[in-house]
Amino acid sequence: MGLSDQEILHVARLARLRLTTAELPGIRRDLNRVLDYVSQLQALDLADIPPTMHVVNMEMPLRDDVVAPSLSVEEATKNAPQVEAGMFKVPRIVESEGGGDDG
Amino acid sequence: MAKSLWMEDAVTLHELFVAGEVRATDIVEHHLERLNARDPVIRAFLHVAAEQARAQAAVQDRWSPAERAERPLSGVPVAIKDNIVTETMPTTAASRILQNFYAPYNATVVDKLYEAGAIVIGKTNLDEFAMGSSTEHSAFYPTRNPWALDRVPGGSSGGSAAAVAAGMVPLALGSDTGGSIRQPSAYCGIIGMKPTYGRVSRYGLIAFASSLDQIGPMARRVRDLRALYDVIAGPDPRDATSLPDTTDATPLSRPWRIGVPREYFGEGLDPEIRHVLDRHLSQLRAEGHEIRDISLPHTRFAIAAYYLIAPAEASSNLSRYDGIRYGFRRESRDLVTLYEATRDEGFGPEVKRRILLGTHALSSGYYDAYYLTAQKVRTLIRRDFDDAFHTVDFVVTPTTPEVAFRLGERSDDPLTMYLGDIYTVTANLAGLPAISLPVGWAHGLPVGVQWLAKPLADHQLLEAAEALEGLLPPVRFPEEVEG
Amino acid sequence: MSAAFDVIIGLEVHVELKTASKLFCGCSTAFGSAPNSQTCPVCLGMPGVLPVLNREAVRLAVRSALALNCTVRPYSKFDRKQYFYPDLPKAYQISQYDLPLAEYGWVNIRPSGQDVKRVGIRRIHLEEDAGKLNHLGQRLGDAVGSLVDLNRAGVPLIEIVSEPDMRSAEEARLYLTELRAVLSYLDVSDLRMEEGSLRCDANVSLRPRGYTGSLEELPRVEIKNVNSIRNVQRGIEYEIARQAELLSRGERIVRETRGFDDVSGRTYSQRSKEEAHDYRYFPEPDLPPLVLQSEWIEKERAALPPLPDAIRQDLIARGIPDKDVEVLVLDREAYQYWKEASPAFSDDRLLVNWMLSDVSRLLNAQGRTFGDCPVRPRQLVELLTLIQEGTLSGRMAKEVLDAMFETGQDAKTVVKQKGLSQITDESALMQVVQRVLEAHAHVVEDYLSGKDKALAYLVGQVMKETRGQAKPDLVNRLLKEAIRGGQTVSG
Ligand SMILES: [Mg+2]
Ligand SMILES: [Zn+2]
Repeated sequence: MGLSDQEILHVARLARLRLTTAELPGIRRDLNRVLDYVSQLQALDLADIPPTMHVVNMEMPLRDDVVAPSLSVEEATKNAPQVEAGMFKVPRIVESEGGGDDG
Repeated sequence: MAKSLWMEDAVTLHELFVAGEVRATDIVEHHLERLNARDPVIRAFLHVAAEQARAQAAVQDRWSPAERAERPLSGVPVAIKDNIVTETMPTTAASRILQNFYAPYNATVVDKLYEAGAIVIGKTNLDEFAMGSSTEHSAFYPTRNPWALDRVPGGSSGGSAAAVAAGMVPLALGSDTGGSIRQPSAYCGIIGMKPTYGRVSRYGLIAFASSLDQIGPMARRVRDLRALYDVIAGPDPRDATSLPDTTDATPLSRPWRIGVPREYFGEGLDPEIRHVLDRHLSQLRAEGHEIRDISLPHTRFAIAAYYLIAPAEASSNLSRYDGIRYGFRRESRDLVTLYEATRDEGFGPEVKRRILLGTHALSSGYYDAYYLTAQKVRTLIRRDFDDAFHTVDFVVTPTTPEVAFRLGERSDDPLTMYLGDIYTVTANLAGLPAISLPVGWAHGLPVGVQWLAKPLADHQLLEAAEALEGLLPPVRFPEEVEG
Repeated sequence: MSAAFDVIIGLEVHVELKTASKLFCGCSTAFGSAPNSQTCPVCLGMPGVLPVLNREAVRLAVRSALALNCTVRPYSKFDRKQYFYPDLPKAYQISQYDLPLAEYGWVNIRPSGQDVKRVGIRRIHLEEDAGKLNHLGQRLGDAVGSLVDLNRAGVPLIEIVSEPDMRSAEEARLYLTELRAVLSYLDVSDLRMEEGSLRCDANVSLRPRGYTGSLEELPRVEIKNVNSIRNVQRGIEYEIARQAELLSRGERIVRETRGFDDVSGRTYSQRSKEEAHDYRYFPEPDLPPLVLQSEWIEKERAALPPLPDAIRQDLIARGIPDKDVEVLVLDREAYQYWKEASPAFSDDRLLVNWMLSDVSRLLNAQGRTFGDCPVRPRQLVELLTLIQEGTLSGRMAKEVLDAMFETGQDAKTVVKQKGLSQITDESALMQVVQRVLEAHAHVVEDYLSGKDKALAYLVGQVMKETRGQAKPDLVNRLLKEAIRGGQTVSG
């Protein structure tokens, strides 16, 4: 049971990648081979095993609340493909895209 | 000068420079000459900063002997893998999406290199965003193995490995997420080390898989490697996962207890490599060290766990390449089209494959089965090593199951390429320090042995490696062997 | 609204914390600078950068959580919340998902005519703010493009998620007002909704009577980013009516996100949840867990200032009327003004009365607050003392206050300049009294023959002579003494 084309296109959409119909079969084959290989993990009994999210056991170091110099607007935007009035320019945002929770 | 300066090791060059016997300018010119002779074929570099290197050398030539001595790498040419951010040179991660990107800052390790007097020669090739084991997945061109030009140098730090092996630089920085320093070091017959996770700041390393990535040194001699390690290691206030300076200075007592995990010598290991490893182990036994048969039973799950964790983190880390603030952009009439067209054209196929895999592994309904499960398996792999290091000081394995493969041989078969990482990924999953040393030859190509130590035992590992060097065949340059 | 439904409201409030630098980098958080002038590789999401957490942001978040009666977790962690949008440079927000900083708190609200009601707080977590989009064109819908300013990207926020405990738009308003009051006493945020330092999303659903399923499963509408408390209330009112109308017609309510248009007072559909994000949360590998020592948490708890509920009790005990207490408590600057003035003045009711009527009137007229009142608490106390001592009448004091507002001068200076003070010098006043008695001997006789009104006439004459600057009860006493004295002398 692997990923269908439909599911792959959904994932591609989440990742903001465009897939052509020509490359879809190859990608489906590669992804499903890997997913098939990793499915061996499902056989393990991991109920009591904690995950390793950080490999070193350490606590959060904290930074003092001190203002450090920012970049100049020129430096901050020098690599940007499109800049207007010191800001990054983006094309029309189609409304249904919405923003984040805090937008 | 009977011997060309490019043939010298880093510490020797530094000592000659401090003693006033050679000029930094001569060191740089010899290396640039060598680079110009060899790199048109090998293609280890993506960017050569000849003028900057000459300028740095000219400045250093005016330094007093005391100023030269103060800086441990003064006069020493170094190459930097191009996924480490530099202010005065472009940083591309070998991706079209970052073509012509000039970062407004230096990685912490780069600042440290300059402070130590290192002369930066340029930026080396890699698999795009460090995703690959051959340096064929560079968006620009593949790098060739100096020992056999029809073969890959390994990857993803293939440019750094080839540059060091061919004598273009005595030292280079690489990065290692699943073996990306050790495997190309083995393929190119040099020494490469992945430090304990957190030992070297990741600030300025273009993230691939944040919980696995680590910058490390590559060299032809252990003492050179160690000099570079000492410069780059240490806590960094800009990296919250960098470890406090708790150098484990416990001296290593002899004889060493060496664990040989049977899972690393099974099916899939080239018999000739096995033979080379067996000889290495007999030598160690002859030296009076204790060789123990051990088991790391969850090794067989390591690749599966790795190929869930790394792509998942990568899919997140690579989301920022959207054509808005920097990098390549495909103009489009609306935002979603711009994102998709930019990322479609900006990323190569292997990167896209991993982004898709990782996005799927984190997506709603799959997180527990994939990412979380893989992180639990990681705990089991860590526990295997914890248990092992109760009874042994080091674990010794082959670095790779096979020698360098031919260009194009694996490019169509991702899973087979992934399986080649079998011996190296565990060190990343467990955060351990690991080093690959050239141990012999198979099929006329270099073979690497991997030594692993417990977390934080980086210095003991380096100490052991230095002691081992006498047992290992001397590192030479390809034409010396051919000739 | 049909009685066939209960209204279920939960609020998510984002509060920008008042730190000097951003949550994960050293850029300034100051408001109103040139676009992208407060950015660095970290908050621009450049390749290779890493976050380092701001200690003060943690402290302010913990302080808020404690003041809102939450339990602070000794161990919390950060996660990445992923979606693509141009105001989010890394395409993920560093937030907290399953182990938030604090949980299970509450706020008390006082719906009028009802008992105090407790509104639960489910969780409080720390996260980074996004940048700001400036749309080129009238509205997002017909904009030809947008310009991205990342000055705000990375500013520390706390997100305060309430339980779905509110049952009306009015309760939501009270909750927000109380929440804002508590936070204002903590001094953790500027709390300016118009600048975006306080933002509110409201989740509104209608629960049919007899519904037995979980609240989670009710179709819920989220009203996003409304820019004032008043508009939150209006948006919820509109949404309740809209949903009730749909239900009464037997239609389904769609789970969706809606915006609020403050001109029409209506909500409008932004996107339905079906096409909503799959955020692909996972633990932030760049940040180790946040471990807080219980001794440190207790130290922060001990350092909390008096909070609205305690302040209310104190003010009520001082005999200040309930209505005035509410006004004072909900306006921290007014309360602090009162607190500064109160120890120097004996009559709290008079003080509060003057603050909330005359001083407030003048402040409103000038668009000022008690925080920048030109008449300082000490000066108001001086003015009120003049009333208390009888130097000024209430009417005169208002005139003096006006002048103090204009000039910033002390009450006594104004009184002197205007020659306004009541004549309290008894010997000076006695001369006037004698003159009036002499001029109105027949009225004195009327008084002596028992006509009490005659005295009032004489008082009036003295007030007239002194142009109202004499204090009536003093005049009264002096007149009586003089008449009695005159009798003695003559008798
Ligand atoms: Mg939020
Ligand atoms: Zn910044």
